[in-house]
Amino acid sequence: MSCILTIEKLSKSFGRVAAVHDLSFEVSQDEILGIIGPNGAGKTTLFNLIAGEIKPESGKIMFNGTDVTSAQTFRRCRMGIARTYQIPRPFVNMTVLENVLVGAVYGGGMGSKASRKKCEEVLEKTGLFSKRNAFAESLPLLDRKRLELTKALATGPTLLLIDEVAGGLTESEVEEVLKIIHSLRRDGITILWVEHIMMAMKRGPDRLLVMDFGEKLAYGNPDEVLDSEEVHKVYLGDDED
Amino acid sequence: MSSNRIRILLAALLLIALATLPFWATRYMVSILLLICLYMTLASMWNLLAGYSGLISLGQQMFIGIGGYSLAVLSMYHGLPIFLSVFLGGVISVLLAVLISLPIFRMKGVYFAIGTWIIAEALGICFSNWGYVRYGMGLFIQPAYRLSMSTIYYAALVLCIGSIALIYLLLRSNLGLALMAIRDDDRASEAIGVNIFRCKFTCFLLSAFITGMTAGVLYLNTIFIQPFEAFGIGWTVKLLFIVIIGGLGTVAGPIVGAAVFVVLQQYLSEYVGFNLIIFGTITISVIFFTPKGIVGTFQEKLGFEIFPIRRR
Repeated sequence: MSCILTIEKLSKSFGRVAAVHDLSFEVSQDEILGIIGPNGAGKTTLFNLIAGEIKPESGKIMFNGTDVTSAQTFRRCRMGIARTYQIPRPFVNMTVLENVLVGAVYGGGMGSKASRKKCEEVLEKTGLFSKRNAFAESLPLLDRKRLELTKALATGPTLLLIDEVAGGLTESEVEEVLKIIHSLRRDGITILWVEHIMMAMKRGPDRLLVMDFGEKLAYGNPDEVLDSEEVHKVYLGDDED
Repeated sequence: MSSNRIRILLAALLLIALATLPFWATRYMVSILLLICLYMTLASMWNLLAGYSGLISLGQQMFIGIGGYSLAVLSMYHGLPIFLSVFLGGVISVLLAVLISLPIFRMKGVYFAIGTWIIAEALGICFSNWGYVRYGMGLFIQPAYRLSMSTIYYAALVLCIGSIALIYLLLRSNLGLALMAIRDDDRASEAIGVNIFRCKFTCFLLSAFITGMTAGVLYLNTIFIQPFEAFGIGWTVKLLFIVIIGGLGTVAGPIVGAAVFVVLQQYLSEYVGFNLIIFGTITISVIFFTPKGIVGTFQEKLGFEIFPIRRR
């Protein structure tokens, strides 16, 4: 298996708080890497760094063998890195289809015919096709989360960063999300997945990365990682939030 | 389907009426419609920046001044054909826009607004101290005397219809899609591949080009150009009034706004001093009671768009 993403000694702090500190790990092609950690462990900051929305103080991000540490956000997207936001950020004054078209046309660099086709395909996949002409403003939370995913998929990513897509969903809805994510992997998309829901994290990812205070606490097979003592101490032993 | 047909029919009738206007209307009416066309074009270009690209420019007058002076200098001093000079005025405006874009695009929001304003003011001062264009005394654009009112009217009409068609097509293009996305959430749009700078820069150049050309036609009509009037903030204030009462971020807004503005201006010109108070009161009332302007409110209430830009 080849390596699609390499994070090397990455650091970013906000004031005196080290959000990500000296973090290194690798993601192989076609794997699903789950990322867990208590709130404030730096998971979202890590995503922002990989997507290019903030720049690190030190360290390197290699994507498909290219150093993208200083590449602009839209360029990284066009190279194949797509992301979703924990709190959905739909374009509220546009229809669902238009939202997704932006991703296909710009992130995917597709012509008008190809982008239409791509949009219909991903809308089908995430179950939003019937709502394609609704304004994004009118969507309930679950659909907004679907839209996040649909927009990201429309860009034709090879690496997908998913930030808490299952949070706040019912158990059967989480099942559905798991199904979608596994089907994405079959399509050849590598996935980084931040989630708090243990059920999803046990069954979704191939490997787990546990973060605490911006550092790597544990890394490996999900069952082993979740059973390890230190993870229990900082994460599972913690009260909610 | 039938509403579409009615739309096309009405548009065709309107076009025929406008195209034949000099043959049946009074000279006064032609002059009024000439002004409406010009203000509509200028306001559409301001709307493209403020309403669609999130660039609040208070410096459109820099392109008005440059367009006007280009016309004067090129046609008078260098003997170029009048309409070539008008066109070159647009080109020179684009060059100016490219030149200032480096510093100006580093500024956001209100800083951008003030930055554009200051550049326009500085240009006004430069021109008023420049012997080549006869300092602050201004220039009479003599070649323009030869033109008839209807020639100028047709030039304005072409610019007006051309710019509305252009904006409409632009909004329906991929660039328009990106502009809408940026307007809703710039960070999210960048994350799915939109190059924000490039989109805004394109609109800025386009706006400069058409504003510069329109200014040329405007000064064919005015004949006299003087730096503090040409580079004055008064222009942008008028455009702001037009776009706000018409409807910011709508294609038809500047059309309605310009018509209201020009007609009001005609009626209020007797009451010098009062007219500004009335314009101010109208603007404030619109902002308070119908912040989406005439067209925006109309569209919201009836769910009908004069220029539909949705993709189905």
